Amino acid sequence: MDKEKLKKVGNFLLNNAMFIIILCAVIYIAIEVPAFIKLPSIVNIISLTAAKLPIALGIAGCIVLTGTDISAGRVVGLTACISASLLTTTFKVFPNMTSAPSIALVILIVLVVGAVVGLVNGFSVAKFKLHPFIVTLSTQLIVYGCILMYLKNGTNNGQTLSGLTDGYRNLVAGTLFKIGDTAVPMYVLYAVILTAIMWVIWNKTTFGKNMFAVGSNEEAANVSGVNVTRTIIMVFVLAGIMYAITGFIDGARIASANANTGLNYECDAIAACVIGGVSFVGGIGKISGIVIGVLLLQIIFAGLNFLSVDANMLYIIKGLIILIACAIDMRKYLVRK
Amino acid sequence: MEKKEQTQEPVRRPPGRGLYERVNIPVSRLNVIILVLCVLLVICMFFGISHRGFQVTFDTRGGTVVEAQTRMYGERVETPAEPTREGYVFSGWYQDENESIPWNLEEDTVVNSMTLYAGWTEDKE
Repeated sequence: MDKEKLKKVGNFLLNNAMFIIILCAVIYIAIEVPAFIKLPSIVNIISLTAAKLPIALGIAGCIVLTGTDISAGRVVGLTACISASLLTTTFKVFPNMTSAPSIALVILIVLVVGAVVGLVNGFSVAKFKLHPFIVTLSTQLIVYGCILMYLKNGTNNGQTLSGLTDGYRNLVAGTLFKIGDTAVPMYVLYAVILTAIMWVIWNKTTFGKNMFAVGSNEEAANVSGVNVTRTIIMVFVLAGIMYAITGFIDGARIASANANTGLNYECDAIAACVIGGVSFVGGIGKISGIVIGVLLLQIIFAGLNFLSVDANMLYIIKGLIILIACAIDMRKYLVRK
Repeated sequence: MEKKEQTQEPVRRPPGRGLYERVNIPVSRLNVIILVLCVLLVICMFFGISHRGFQVTFDTRGGTVVEAQTRMYGERVETPAEPTREGYVFSGWYQDENESIPWNLEEDTVVNSMTLYAGWTEDKE
């Protein structure tokens, strides 16, 4: 009896090892730097979570299909650069332009760009049965090349794009409401809306159910009449659109964009998804889990940043977190099996 | 004959799932791996915390060398000695090489390791 209890406790501890470590770290950081649990810091963490949420929501769909998408960060970079080059007051990339186009048009352009990259990814994965890793690796490089060439356009010569229009800045980074003296930016609202939309897509639509069916067993889904090819393509296109939204938000959030914008975003997003219980087994995952995953990751990194831990070390920590999350995910799968 | 059938048994199982299709490791060993990784993570965090501080380096881009500084989160950069360069006049520190985003030594605070670039204007005299 006691042995069984011990086993249960052991199971619980192992399955939640990541959360326990993060919780301990947060408590330590809060004691060491009390400012970490003050309002401005909490709002900062929520804002960062909101900024990273759309990309994670997009990539989660690919992981549900047992795939992945490592082109995500570069798509964010490209769309951020496009947004920043059009909605600007200096027009270095397009010297012939005199006034910024309407924001709606720019949003449409970046959404189309994101969707096209997603389409290429999805089409290659679905039609040619290529592994998403290879496909998205190639699109990652292609998109990066496009970013570099795009930034060489006009008189820009590869420089950082800045000097964004007030309209663009206010739409994304303007004040949604204030808690005390701390302003909550608009993009928190957008992240909430996107999360709600994704929840509906995942849980209430045929497409969402098909996605989980294809993720858990492609052949069975095919036999039961699901259009596997279309489902896979749509998941990648939807993911591409989410990256585009992340890019559009990121341009204004950081107030500039360059070739390094979006670098390694996919690592954070994949890590957040795995921590949040989106399993590499396929067909398993919840929107709420993704939100928690992104939030936890931002909490731990904001905390370590508060402690002035060098960014180089953060990479190692990030890598270890992904490994642990994967090992725990694998353990859950083996225990079930 | 019987033996042969037994060895073929695993092949006939329904296809495994996702990326763990070929995972064939006892749970007990995986437990050890998770534990080791967790310990490694904690060690890394401690190492990071015990070597606190962000490196602020100065790229003078052809000017005299300016010493790097170690600052904590939220601190300001200590005003460094002004670099000099023949034929140019120092115009301030910038966050990027293109001199488009200036760094305000009085107001901006360090939130990460970074490099500040010296801005130069040609000396016309």
